[in-house]
Amino acid sequence: MTFAAAATTAILAATVLLQAAWPARRLVLVASGAALSALVVSLSGVSTTGRLLAGVPWDVLVLLVGLGLVTEVLVASRLFGLLAVRVARATRAAPGLLAFVFVLGMYAVSGVVNNLTALMLLLPVVLILFRLMGVSQRYVTWTLATLLVACNLGGAATPIGDFPAILLLGRGAMEFTEYLVRAAPLTLAALTLLLAAVFGLARPARGLAATPLSARLTVATLSAFHRGVRLDRRALLSGLLPLAGMVAAWLLVPASTGVGPELICWIGAAAALLGAGRLGERLARTRVDVEATLFLLFLFVMVGAVGETGVFRDAARLLAALPLPPTAQVAVFLVSSALLTGVFSAGPSMAALLPVAEVLAADHPPEAIYVGLALSVCAGSSLFLTAATAGPLTQALVERAGLRGEDGAPVDLGFFRFAPVGLLGFGVTLAVALVATLARL
Amino acid sequence: MSFFAPGLEDAFRTAAAELGMCSASRLFVREAASDGPDAVAELSDRLGRPFPVLDAVAAAALEGAPLRGVDPGEVLATLAGLRRLLVAGFEADFLDALVRALSGEVRVGLVRTAFLEGDWERIADNYAGRLELVEMAAFAGWAGPRSGLLTFLYGVEGAVTHVAPAWLRVAGDDVRPIFRELVGWDVLGRPMSLYPRWLTEVPAGSFTRLA
Repeated sequence: MTFAAAATTAILAATVLLQAAWPARRLVLVASGAALSALVVSLSGVSTTGRLLAGVPWDVLVLLVGLGLVTEVLVASRLFGLLAVRVARATRAAPGLLAFVFVLGMYAVSGVVNNLTALMLLLPVVLILFRLMGVSQRYVTWTLATLLVACNLGGAATPIGDFPAILLLGRGAMEFTEYLVRAAPLTLAALTLLLAAVFGLARPARGLAATPLSARLTVATLSAFHRGVRLDRRALLSGLLPLAGMVAAWLLVPASTGVGPELICWIGAAAALLGAGRLGERLARTRVDVEATLFLLFLFVMVGAVGETGVFRDAARLLAALPLPPTAQVAVFLVSSALLTGVFSAGPSMAALLPVAEVLAADHPPEAIYVGLALSVCAGSSLFLTAATAGPLTQALVERAGLRGEDGAPVDLGFFRFAPVGLLGFGVTLAVALVATLARL
Repeated sequence: MSFFAPGLEDAFRTAAAELGMCSASRLFVREAASDGPDAVAELSDRLGRPFPVLDAVAAAALEGAPLRGVDPGEVLATLAGLRRLLVAGFEADFLDALVRALSGEVRVGLVRTAFLEGDWERIADNYAGRLELVEMAAFAGWAGPRSGLLTFLYGVEGAVTHVAPAWLRVAGDDVRPIFRELVGWDVLGRPMSLYPRWLTEVPAGSFTRLA
């Protein structure tokens, strides 16, 4: 291994570890790591900063920013708060049924908008419902942890739901329809197994005291919170129509036209913002997720620097040289990917693992390798509460909500409380990924 | 057998944060009353002491006084001629009725203070653009000879009344000369019989108009 290879790999590993351990400084850490990586490859003559920047998958960043803005237009329509009221009314605030419907809703919403946004849409109203209906620690743990796993599964179900799939789409590794057709049924299978285990065996609402009057109070209060809230039809149409057009174009426009998924997204986002009028201008100026965009940009530079030194090719060669049959080598890759994601989170893991997957895809059916990788990363995202940004965010929101259990003790969602459900989600998703991938080889 | 699940106090606190103490009390008492007076009595037993406004609303219900709709007629009369109305403190039932009754030419603002833990954006969304959220720093911009400042009173007893602490943030001696009217709207209609937790005592005479 050359000095440049060793140094850039060490910088990438150290930065990813440091940002995971010190999330409050993560943007500065990855910015510094990227600068240092560029310096190493420039001084060693392996590459230049210009080449590293040219190698950044800008199409992926365009997809992320564009989809984020379309989501913001949809959020401004107030659709999701009003839907939550309808759900509370339809279920009559029955705790078990509410949890089940919200998990399904989280899966569906995460397939269309990014995971953090999906969580920010649903979680505040879920936490208000928890405060109104009265909860137990057990109920909160199982419901919210299952919501998080469903959020990851929904994100992996479509090519626009979360970063790993967006990366596959943006880099042209898979086409929209191809990914959707292969990944969605698998995530749905994993979700079905998860729901059967959680609601059939664990049953979050078991032992939770509930009375008809308290349930009525819950529904009446939530309805009163939204008594005059009206759907903003213009915002809703401005978000939904371009989104439908984008999905149709992703499905129908062939790659041979030169119109890629990122351009379709760009045009769709512009149409959504134009349609929303002044709201669109305000959203474009204030609601771009600059933190996530910069984080990924710096990450791509670091991964690009490592790639320029040939480390990923060597890693794939090492994997191929393992004294195992080819199917077992793929299994090792998928399990390692899931575990690495559990420690480093989806963004860094996917960015680093995709080049290795590209080498494996030369010898195996590419779609099986890529979908298997996306699902393994999804499994890893559910392993620990800290494995995806959504976890710590949920933890913070639960703490801020000041929930208390039936005994009056504070209710929280910490690392260890999440662990059993996380392990269940990890196991189920990884098992589905392994079975589906190995069956295709 | 209890009518209510555990966690009733948290539920009420959540409702009061976004609807106001009196409006949340009216909602809880109304729902409890549909299960009969025993449910209202249990509600009063469990929540009356920590929430004296609820205690007063429940006491009225138990005495047989029905929960009536809100009539903003009297307060509308005190606001005649105003073009800007700034509200400190929040009561959903009452502000809903007032905003509906006010002419569209009157600008209505709600002072955003730290005392209310509800979702401010959702609170404003309920008024279809008629209610503007006003930061404390922009509060003086609403002053003028055709401007009024309004808050909700929780019973008037002789020379004193009780208000939400938000009122104290905006109603200093220097504020009286720059607003034409300082209006107090009694939403409870009877004095509280328990120590008024969550509220602040002020002289009833500190308002230019009471309704």
